[in-house]
Amino acid sequence: MLHLFVKTCRPNELLDSMLEITEGIDPGAISETILALLPHLQSVLLRLDEGKAACVGSTLSALQKQLSRLPVPYTEQQEEADEYGLCRCSAALTAFAEPFVEEVKRTDGNCAATAEDEELKIELLKFCMRSLRAPLLEAELKHDKKSPLWLFAVEIMVTLSAIKEPLPGLLFFSSLRKNILMDNNQFKEARACLAYLLFVQLITIDNFPAVFSHVFILQCNMEYISQLLSRYAVNTTLFSALFTKSLERVQDNSLPVSLLDLKSFYSVPHNLRRVLTDCPIQHLVSASLVVFQVFINKLDAEAKHKFFRCMLKTSNHAGIESYIIKNIRNQFEFSMKGNANDWFLGTEFISLMRLVLRLPQGAETDLLGSMDKVMESLNLLRYVLIRDEELRTNEDVWEELCRIKEEYLKMLRVCISISRAYYSSELKALREDQKLKAKEARDAARSTKLVKSITVKQEKVSNMSPEVQHQVLQSALVTFDLMESLIVRIEEITEEKLNKLN
Amino acid sequence: MTTDQDLPMDHQSSTALFAAKGIDVTTNKDQGVIKVIKHPGVDGDRPMIGDRVTVHYTGKLVTGKKFDCSRERKEPFCFNVGKGQVLRAWDIGVLSMQRGEVCTLLCKPEYAYGAAGNPDKIPPSSSVVFEMELIKFEGEALTGDGGIVRRIKVKGEGYTNPNDGSVVNVHLEGRCGDRLFDCRDVSFIVGQAEDKSIPLGVDRAMDKMQKGECCLLYLKPKYGFGSEGKPEYKIGPDKDIVYEVTLKDFQRAKDSWEMDLKEKLDVSAEVKNKGNQYFKAGRYYQAVIQYQRIISWLEIEYGTGEVQQKKIQDYILTSHLNLALCFLRLKEFTQAVDNCNKVIELDENNEKALYRRGEARLCRNEFSLALADFQQVLQVNSANRAARAQISICQSKIKEHHEKDKKTYANMFQKFAERDAKTGKTRTIELPERTFQWRQKH
Repeated sequence: MLHLFVKTCRPNELLDSMLEITEGIDPGAISETILALLPHLQSVLLRLDEGKAACVGSTLSALQKQLSRLPVPYTEQQEEADEYGLCRCSAALTAFAEPFVEEVKRTDGNCAATAEDEELKIELLKFCMRSLRAPLLEAELKHDKKSPLWLFAVEIMVTLSAIKEPLPGLLFFSSLRKNILMDNNQFKEARACLAYLLFVQLITIDNFPAVFSHVFILQCNMEYISQLLSRYAVNTTLFSALFTKSLERVQDNSLPVSLLDLKSFYSVPHNLRRVLTDCPIQHLVSASLVVFQVFINKLDAEAKHKFFRCMLKTSNHAGIESYIIKNIRNQFEFSMKGNANDWFLGTEFISLMRLVLRLPQGAETDLLGSMDKVMESLNLLRYVLIRDEELRTNEDVWEELCRIKEEYLKMLRVCISISRAYYSSELKALREDQKLKAKEARDAARSTKLVKSITVKQEKVSNMSPEVQHQVLQSALVTFDLMESLIVRIEEITEEKLNKLN
Repeated sequence: MTTDQDLPMDHQSSTALFAAKGIDVTTNKDQGVIKVIKHPGVDGDRPMIGDRVTVHYTGKLVTGKKFDCSRERKEPFCFNVGKGQVLRAWDIGVLSMQRGEVCTLLCKPEYAYGAAGNPDKIPPSSSVVFEMELIKFEGEALTGDGGIVRRIKVKGEGYTNPNDGSVVNVHLEGRCGDRLFDCRDVSFIVGQAEDKSIPLGVDRAMDKMQKGECCLLYLKPKYGFGSEGKPEYKIGPDKDIVYEVTLKDFQRAKDSWEMDLKEKLDVSAEVKNKGNQYFKAGRYYQAVIQYQRIISWLEIEYGTGEVQQKKIQDYILTSHLNLALCFLRLKEFTQAVDNCNKVIELDENNEKALYRRGEARLCRNEFSLALADFQQVLQVNSANRAARAQISICQSKIKEHHEKDKKTYANMFQKFAERDAKTGKTRTIELPERTFQWRQKH
């Protein structure tokens, strides 16, 4: 019945009516409706002469808008089942677009492309960009599983090259383009997906110019990594794959400090850190930590220095801080081994030490919570005192270091004694409470009445069993002993060195 | 301009060729990049650092095996030369070329793909050969609208650039046509160049410059003296100007993360005043810069305790409100709406934000949305007379739109009825533009 209409009715009115049908239909019926309509829409559009490009554009836009309401399958089984028909529709869409792509391909061979041809090319470009953003950005795309959505991704990439859209311009120089008519964030997301498909999945990489420098590629991809991290931080590993791949080809110790001024180079580590501290998915945290370290390794000495300062100032998280301090120790060691630089020796190094050897909350520091950081800082201090040859050569620098060290150790001792006193008394109270309960239990066993109430001596009501509480308090006290022994060792070393000099 | 087809080059003949005719174009003469000119270009016309160049190229191994070719893709290759975007050999080689020149570059691995090579295409530590044609080049556009175009005469040093708030020491030479109208050594704060009568374009170029750099900035009126012109310099309205800028030295302002909250709050007060000052003087771009600084400092801060939190919130709210107003004046309606949205996220019934968003939407012809905003303003404050006036404007615009549509359709069907009556056939209609506009809003 529909093809009778298609043959006899006026194309534009037909188009409007068919597109109206697709609006506001039940999600369950979307794919069926679209699959049914597509061939007819195609024949109507092919009959148009004038205004075809705009009609093709609005048709694709309307259809994609409906498809974006469908959930994207993200496992192999889901893709095979294709419950909502998204995969089938995507395949059908590429078939639908094909004759128009061919048309653009034909006109590119000739010299004069009309305004209409240009418009068609732009509509097809918009179609590709929208597809990259949805559904491809949310799909699980790996080249070893040739799933329907993978094939759709390949088709989109092929279409981009067929309509002669240079990828470098799109990915690296798009601040210079204005005719995309897509929301800025959405455009960036589409390009982020494009960067992933090109650089990680290597689709159509053979056609991509091989002459860009790796630092430049990293710089451009950083924007996409930042976008992916801020929107899809927990849901996909897209960002870490793109980040890792982009970092791979960069030489160690080569990224200059000026890169850290770029917004994306600030936000990526910042957001990565949030993943490390807040994300409940373990494998994502491990992957993020790996790429975090790789990133640090690629920075040159000055950049590392600035980065470590930034992290220490802004982390407020003992785990991250301890990780950074470990890195500082490694850099210090590296500098000792004939890789002398201004940043991990001399005055600049002291500015780092100032940030390491400090307790911002003073006497109120939660030592247990900051344990990782404190232990790591003491380790670093010990190492620096043992390998003191370089630093001692500058009197002012050495004096400053000693002053910082003294203040830190003094405050640390105060904190340890306060904390020790507190936890000891907690432990004592717990023991006494246990004794009391045991006594009450014995009394209760003897008497016929059931003792319902249990006296709670402690002020803190925790939901840990007394045995566990006991363990926690004991290990806290052991920790403080460890810290103190490390401080003692440090003071021993200081003594030894002083004696050697005198 | 066509060039020879692929010349088959085997190892011996190519090395012989380069040894005989090659010029070492590296600065330290280490033979890292050797050039043989096949076809000279236009004499004296060389690209400057940062210029956007367009080339065609073919890349081959010394064995003659091709690994990359822009002509096969039928895509000329564009990049900014001398900025580390491409292989080192290219940055050096292309800077030595003249417009229209065709040449071959023999590149040692340190200047090309290094010890790692390129997994599929290039073995480790390979020398490579590039056949290059320099098709054209133009200055580097520093802004999306091409209003500031830079050509670098002398490359700067170091790796950092001035940021907003930096104190910079520059030498300036401003020209309109050939006439020099401004020549001086001056210090200014980036973001506040206006205070020293320095145009916006020079100010905005600062964060892309390096110490010691000397460049030419081609400024369109929007970034120059605009439609007012500058009578003191005898410059009329809407004139393009060129400034030669030498960045002698600068002192960077602290990055956001280097400042503690108290510092940020103190500085925000000053910056807000500065912004207001610029706004009153009608310098909206400059005002925007100042308000945006406040937001970039405070949007990630939490503050300890209610008093601090409220202070931070207040600053952020007023900054977004002020930005919305600036963008309204600048007719950048999308940005105005974005800033109003940010305020409304924090404070649903913010009268000013709703009103300004309504204004912006009205200017974007989003009549129903604008109407909704103004109606909400009245709900918050029924005494707002301006909102009432805007509501009637919206309503009449909506009516106007409907009338137009009705007329068009009425005419259309009338026409077809007449046409079909005459011919008795159905045919393709030429629909008036309005329908297309409606469709494109899908």
